[in-house]
Amino acid sequence: MSLSTAFNVISSSFAVNSGQTAVVANNIANANTPGYSREIANVVTNSYGGADVASVTREANAALLEHVSSSTSQAATQQAISDGLATLAQTVDDSSSASSTSGANQNGASPSAMLANLQSALTTYEDSPTSSSAADAVVSAASDLASSLNSGSATVDQVREQADQNMAASVGKINSLLSQFTAANNAVVTGLQTGANIASAEDTRDSIVTQLAQQIGVSTVTAANGSESIYTDSGVTLFQDTPRTVSFTATPTLVDGASGAPVTVDGVPITGANSPMPIQSGALAGYAALRDTLAPEYQTQLDQIAGGLINAFAESDQSATPTLPSLPGLFTTPGATSLPSMNATTGLAAAIEVNPNVDSSQGGNPSLLRDGGVSDPGNPAYTYNTTGSASYTGRIQQLAGAISTTQSFDSSAGLGASSSLADYANASVSWLQGENQQASDSSSYQNALATQATSALSNATGVNLDVEMTNMLNLENSYASTAKLLTTVNSMFSAVLNAA
Amino acid sequence: MTSMSANFVSSHALATSLVLPVMQAQSSLATAMTEESTGQYANLGLELGEQSGYELSLKEQVGQLQTLTSNNSIVSTSLSTAQSALSAISSSAQTTLNDLATWTAGANSGASLQNTGQSALQSLMASANATSGDDYVFGGINSAVPPMADYYSTPASMAKTAIDQAFQTEFGVLPSDPAAATISASAMQGFLSGPFAALFQGASWSADWSQASSTNTSAEIAPGETVTTSTNLNEPGFQELAQAYAMLSEFGGSELSGAAQQAVADAASSLVSQGMDSLTNIQAGLGSTQSAIASANSSMSSQLTILEQQVDNLDDVNANTTAAQINSLTNQIQMAYELTSRLQELNLAQYLPVP
Repeated sequence: MSLSTAFNVISSSFAVNSGQTAVVANNIANANTPGYSREIANVVTNSYGGADVASVTREANAALLEHVSSSTSQAATQQAISDGLATLAQTVDDSSSASSTSGANQNGASPSAMLANLQSALTTYEDSPTSSSAADAVVSAASDLASSLNSGSATVDQVREQADQNMAASVGKINSLLSQFTAANNAVVTGLQTGANIASAEDTRDSIVTQLAQQIGVSTVTAANGSESIYTDSGVTLFQDTPRTVSFTATPTLVDGASGAPVTVDGVPITGANSPMPIQSGALAGYAALRDTLAPEYQTQLDQIAGGLINAFAESDQSATPTLPSLPGLFTTPGATSLPSMNATTGLAAAIEVNPNVDSSQGGNPSLLRDGGVSDPGNPAYTYNTTGSASYTGRIQQLAGAISTTQSFDSSAGLGASSSLADYANASVSWLQGENQQASDSSSYQNALATQATSALSNATGVNLDVEMTNMLNLENSYASTAKLLTTVNSMFSAVLNAA
Repeated sequence: MTSMSANFVSSHALATSLVLPVMQAQSSLATAMTEESTGQYANLGLELGEQSGYELSLKEQVGQLQTLTSNNSIVSTSLSTAQSALSAISSSAQTTLNDLATWTAGANSGASLQNTGQSALQSLMASANATSGDDYVFGGINSAVPPMADYYSTPASMAKTAIDQAFQTEFGVLPSDPAAATISASAMQGFLSGPFAALFQGASWSADWSQASSTNTSAEIAPGETVTTSTNLNEPGFQELAQAYAMLSEFGGSELSGAAQQAVADAASSLVSQGMDSLTNIQAGLGSTQSAIASANSSMSSQLTILEQQVDNLDDVNANTTAAQINSLTNQIQMAYELTSRLQELNLAQYLPVP
């Protein structure tokens, strides 16, 4: 071993020292960067017996990263659903602070509460059938009920349209993230071939996957050349060497019964009933569930209540031998000439109104409620009070009873096939609040889980300033020793040269 | 370099570890303060979930019972009106009965018999047309028109015309004709119990005397409990009294012989007694409806207490729990702030000598 070899070792020692210092500096600089994986300088012995920084790798943890992205997706799904349902739930809120359209009522403005108000108004009318103010009160309670159904239906439309817009925004983000991913992925693949430091590109790639997981549930697979492929949680390819096109056409107006367009990847639908591989999580899945399943189900329930009301308050032919069909009475829809079938109630909640024939503000006569003939004033066939008695209550009793009489409903609305209107309306409130509670609880739980997963990943792959500081002290000492060594070897050289 | 171990904590995770708990505690604190001030859960729907419909149905039952209770007062008013009108009719009938008992054909004139009849009939008409609100209480369901027609109207009422015709048909003369003096007591009795009595029954009653419907009004006084809430002028008691008063009024001051007038007075007396008995039965019937309403009200009032209690159980937060929660949340947030500042100082750089 010669003194010149010693010089080589010293110079490699300085090189290693500065390489490691660079890594420590980088780690300290990124100590508070979320998603940053700490770097490690891999030092190997070189041919002179010195040391070289052979490579810089990052402390990655694929399993924890996968956990972060899946819990982020789940949390985003539940958050999206919970936000939409909370909007719907406001329409049935009966907290003491809830505002109501009729003012005096403390049970909120839900169809159920309005139905109970109508029943109370009918009971009062039954006890004072000659009072025109009692008749007017029935008409105004009925009108509140119709408005409650109208606004409930409008809120459903609004929630669905909002979800549709959110889907469009989400698809835009996904496409933009996929194109950013292309650049990062190319940098990793090229870097691996040329031996460049790819740690930062890999960090970028992980961060994009986590952001992507916010929008859509994903899983990743890394190929031998370092290229990462992204699949949806249902198995549809989103990225493989090149990004796939995620397409969606927004539907600005979603009326009752209309369905929005599905999101497609390379032409394959990934949302909606017709999708062979529907996505399970991510905000996109939440918006789709809200738009395509949850809100329409509530809409169907409102439509069923509206259909049930029109049928329950219908007027039948009172002749000794009835020949005429039953017609819509107190509740009707504009231009209706017959009763709706309970299997085809689409759009009724939005259209239901109080029959203008009993509405005094529209020139109608409220006492037709007592006497019959709401459907066709003047037609004796639909007159119940044949003697014209002022205190005839037979018809009012029928109407008050109609609310609590068991009738048929379409079981596809999810609330059973047979129930009274009052119970059905209550069951609808229970269903909505139940779903709302579940989504809200689930959202809190998944958010906590995502936070834990993120913190676990950070603990596994992040930077500890104290550790880096310790490393720095080591490097400082090592630098000082090397410098001392250099001075010593230098003086040895001088001694040799002076002796000659 | 250091290998990853279970002890390894990233500085970023450590620094942010308290952010989520503090945010959660702050949000819980806001909720708890709302609940403290309102006494109810801040978000009832989220709290109750599937139970929301049940809670709403309880509130709706409360509303329905309150409506029924307040409606019952309207029904009670109308029943009280009917009762006091019936009492007035009874007392006027008793006065008539007393007058008839002291009347004798020889000593008293027929005119006093006629006066007794007229004033009793007028009082009966006034009481029978009693109203509660805009409704005639003895009209049955046909409550918008006065049930009893004015007997003394001009031109002559249908009832008066029918009586004159019947008398004319039976005896060939009118009661005011001096020839009527020849009518015997037994012939008069026959007329009064035959053609005259028929005028106060069935179709003749409905045509000449009464506009009332024989169908009585009814009302729901408690959930599912519908009762009859009125009586009507077509009840026999009213017919008997009207018959008695009409015969006194028509034949009392007439040209009839003393014996025939005595027969009229006797027949009237017996009818008034019968009528008073019938009215007592009617009053008893209305009285039992009144007591049914009173008991419905008291049972609904205890039901209301229970229902409101149940609603409160679902809606209300425990004030002590909320206060304790606010305390512990405030403490938790304070500790988290304290800890955050301590963690910031827990840094090796603080302890290294400055070179």
